[in-house]
Amino acid sequence: MTDPTVLTELTALALQAGFVDGLTDFLGPSNLASVVVEGLAKSAIYVMIASGLTLIFGLMGVLNFAHGSLTMIGAYLAGVVMVVLVGNATGQWTRMAFFFGALVVVFIALAFLGGVMEIGLIRELYTRPPIYQILLTFGLTLVLEETVRIVVQFYGLQPISEWQGALGTKPAFMATEHSLGPLSVRGLAAFEILLGLATVAAIWAFLTRTRYGLYIRAGSEDAEMAEALGIDVRRVFTVVFALGAGIAGVAGALLMWDPVWGASVPLAAETLLPAFVVVIIGGLGTFRGTVAGALVVGMADATTTWWFQNVFITWTWLPEMAVFLILVGMLVVKPQGLYGVEEVGGH
Amino acid sequence: MTLLELHGVETYYGESHVLEGVTLSVEEGEVVALVGRNGVGKTTTLRSILQLTPPREGSVTYRGEELVGLGTHEVADRGVGWIPEDRRIFSQLSVAENVRVSVPDGRDTEAALTMAYDTFPVLDERRDQEAGTLSGGQQQMLSLARGLVGENALLLVDEPSEGLAPQIVADVADALNDAAKETTLLLVEQNLPLALDLADRFYVLDKGRVVDDGDTAEVSADDERLRRFLSA
Amino acid sequence: MAISSVTRWVENRRLSWPVDHLRSQQVHLLVVLALLAYPGFYHLLTSSSVSNLAVAILPRMDSMVAVLYFALFAMSFDFISGYTGYLSFGHAAFYGTGAYLVILVANGKIPLLPPGTPFMISLLLAGLLAALVAVVIGLVSFRLTGVYFAMVTLGFAQVMYVFVRGWNYVASNPRDGPAIGSTHPDGFEIGVPFVDQLNLAIGSFSGDEVTLLGHTLGTYTVSFYMVGLVVLLSYFAMQRVIHSPFGRVMIAIRENEERAEAVGYDTFRYKIGAFVMSAFFGGIAGGLFAGFKRSVTPESTFYFLTTGDALLASIIGGFGTLAGPLYGHLFDYGVREFLSNRGLGGGLLPYLQETLSQAVLTTTLPGGITVEGFIQAALNGHASLYVGIVFVLFVLYVPGGLLGTLRIGLGGKVSERLPAKLWGDR
Repeated sequence: MTDPTVLTELTALALQAGFVDGLTDFLGPSNLASVVVEGLAKSAIYVMIASGLTLIFGLMGVLNFAHGSLTMIGAYLAGVVMVVLVGNATGQWTRMAFFFGALVVVFIALAFLGGVMEIGLIRELYTRPPIYQILLTFGLTLVLEETVRIVVQFYGLQPISEWQGALGTKPAFMATEHSLGPLSVRGLAAFEILLGLATVAAIWAFLTRTRYGLYIRAGSEDAEMAEALGIDVRRVFTVVFALGAGIAGVAGALLMWDPVWGASVPLAAETLLPAFVVVIIGGLGTFRGTVAGALVVGMADATTTWWFQNVFITWTWLPEMAVFLILVGMLVVKPQGLYGVEEVGGH
Repeated sequence: MTLLELHGVETYYGESHVLEGVTLSVEEGEVVALVGRNGVGKTTTLRSILQLTPPREGSVTYRGEELVGLGTHEVADRGVGWIPEDRRIFSQLSVAENVRVSVPDGRDTEAALTMAYDTFPVLDERRDQEAGTLSGGQQQMLSLARGLVGENALLLVDEPSEGLAPQIVADVADALNDAAKETTLLLVEQNLPLALDLADRFYVLDKGRVVDDGDTAEVSADDERLRRFLSA
Repeated sequence: MAISSVTRWVENRRLSWPVDHLRSQQVHLLVVLALLAYPGFYHLLTSSSVSNLAVAILPRMDSMVAVLYFALFAMSFDFISGYTGYLSFGHAAFYGTGAYLVILVANGKIPLLPPGTPFMISLLLAGLLAALVAVVIGLVSFRLTGVYFAMVTLGFAQVMYVFVRGWNYVASNPRDGPAIGSTHPDGFEIGVPFVDQLNLAIGSFSGDEVTLLGHTLGTYTVSFYMVGLVVLLSYFAMQRVIHSPFGRVMIAIRENEERAEAVGYDTFRYKIGAFVMSAFFGGIAGGLFAGFKRSVTPESTFYFLTTGDALLASIIGGFGTLAGPLYGHLFDYGVREFLSNRGLGGGLLPYLQETLSQAVLTTTLPGGITVEGFIQAALNGHASLYVGIVFVLFVLYVPGGLLGTLRIGLGGKVSERLPAKLWGDR
């Protein structure tokens, strides 16, 4: 379908929209800085939706297709907590406190769900080819999503669109812009960056500073050897699956406040696909790689979003396309990802 | 006192029948060598003891307790250590972390680290280095250290001299000799002079069965009694 | 029974070659006959005294058309995924390519191909273009294995999905997808190109009706037969490949790729070859979809959940059985229709409303919800939940799927073993 007229059309559009003007604009200090801040906020979201996925894959080699569904459940659960607790008169700081309470609730509930899933279902499949784990977790997405849909509809909410009631529980300072020196920063973006940093730091500390983290890293590299050193790798599997599910839920709680995402059933697929992209770009199973991958994807997303909003306003597909093109490009050039080990697909 | 006893152990990899009834025993405080050609089931014997490849028939008892049916980590918890072929150190963990992860729960990790560094000073120098960057000999030292800090009563040592320069083989032999003063060793070794030098007794394995055994004092490395089972 | 007595009769006449051939095809013939008889069967039952039940349970005729072309897509997915073990998670790309090509040709958007291009030709081109896309995707993707292969193919399909959703050349509102415009008001004809008498058009309003022995076959029934014809030919083509030496190498790759390579097969070329063939039939399936529905959306073609539906059909029907996905998809679609909302051929609720008394439907269950309310809230429109549960159970406990399990039970391929079991010979 290489129609020359299409190409000329595109070129004309690019020139007409003023690519060169756009570039000068983009490189201006205030624009560039705001793109970087937006990019960091997006990176924070990406690292949160992808971390659990990468921990689970790194240790057990299970690519958890149900990960997005867990994020979606986390979003609704946090929404329930907030909508129940927050009233019109609730102050900003009380709302923040409730949110952190909701994070704890969501983490515990999702970790429990993840643990049950691992013990009841996933465990059956460790001896089978890895393809079966994809199949099983894919099936679980159908079950989880439809169950949520039933519950949500039962309470009179529209499962397709974002849950406005939950979005409205945000403290006011997150919904507005704040000037930081010459820079104007959205309150929510700043909060996302902080929460993302806190999550990365917590996972990092857990992996490198605790005995259990040491078990996880050893088991990820050579489960059999770890077992022979006296580590109950099966139990570690359960703990990591629970942990991964809990982190997915926490990410969902954050997205519940973000109008771009919001609590809805389709959130599952909307988060699953970018999470896959992030972990593959970083190298499946390496946490360091996932952080790097999230930065790459977040920055690319923010940059292309800026270009779409300011220059190529008809190219609605630009940001999303960029994300998947990075994925394909990465797999073509360096299939093991930024920090992955050489043996690709050798699982 | 008998520490470990295998009786009629039959082990399979999928359909292929690797051990066809192995019977052997190891007394407390002994060093026992398991020798034989490549592919006769020496490593599989160790894996069967550890329940990494559980036997389909036969029994493996340790201090009188049946190991078949236990998980590998439970075998390890009872004091059976493994120093595997190819070392299998955790290459992305630091040297110190490799040692730490091998210390049983609830034991003094710092004391174990000191002990490991005293025994292998080279590990002390490289404690914060990623283990994957160590040389082959250093990796073998680390693997030995991992076995030693595990406070194991029985160490299963697989091909410790494989692929190492002669000078380093001597170091490894010294370390094993030291270890033998405190624990029992079941040693798989291709290097026959080294094996006979280290061990008190030997078993010869051929095609998944024990075909000969005796005291190492009775034989020498070029004895026809051993050579017919070892040369290709 | 009838087939068997025929083959026996022929055998007694010592015409052994055609008998063997026919005998080996007995099960295929039975399935084809059952499908041929379905429209009549459906018509008979839905106008009989048990019509309420029949309407509730039996898939409607237009649903059966959809079952057929999507089953072809699911078979093409099984052809590569089930036989070589490479999970083609971006298979929707081929379905979408085929569907979009057919519509673009009919809308005069493809240079050199006028809107009046015979459907059989644009269908062939749909397959060929999908095959070409597969060459590009395959050359990159088959350097990887396992999870990575699944992910990179998924990535390619998503790139295409995002692309067609934003490309306003394909439709005025590309997010909603293209539809056949005024340049091609007629139905798409399946048959021998350029020979008017040997063609019948498919589609709900634009399709042909046929009067046969005083009975009128509606447009859906005609579409069902014509689409079925293409699906059947495609199935046999894929089945021939599976049973050829080429197919044996595909299975060898699934069982142990290193060994296949060690024996001297250039597995990369076999994998690409199999991928291209499966894409061809995936494209044909997409073309049939577009030809029957006359409008498509990015979600119903290029989106990864379209591949998910093929996966569902393959696992429930039998992974690596080729014919299994047909039964798997029939099950999937059947449950969805049975539990769909009213007005979409919904089976359960209208049936209960007609058969049960109003008192039963308004009975309050524990928890303060009526029977009718419960059905509306937990069953209707929520078939995914129940199909998903079945799918999970199949993955865990019935890894062979419907057809694979039947094969294990009979000790061989159904088409070979069933006749032997039934007639007790050979």
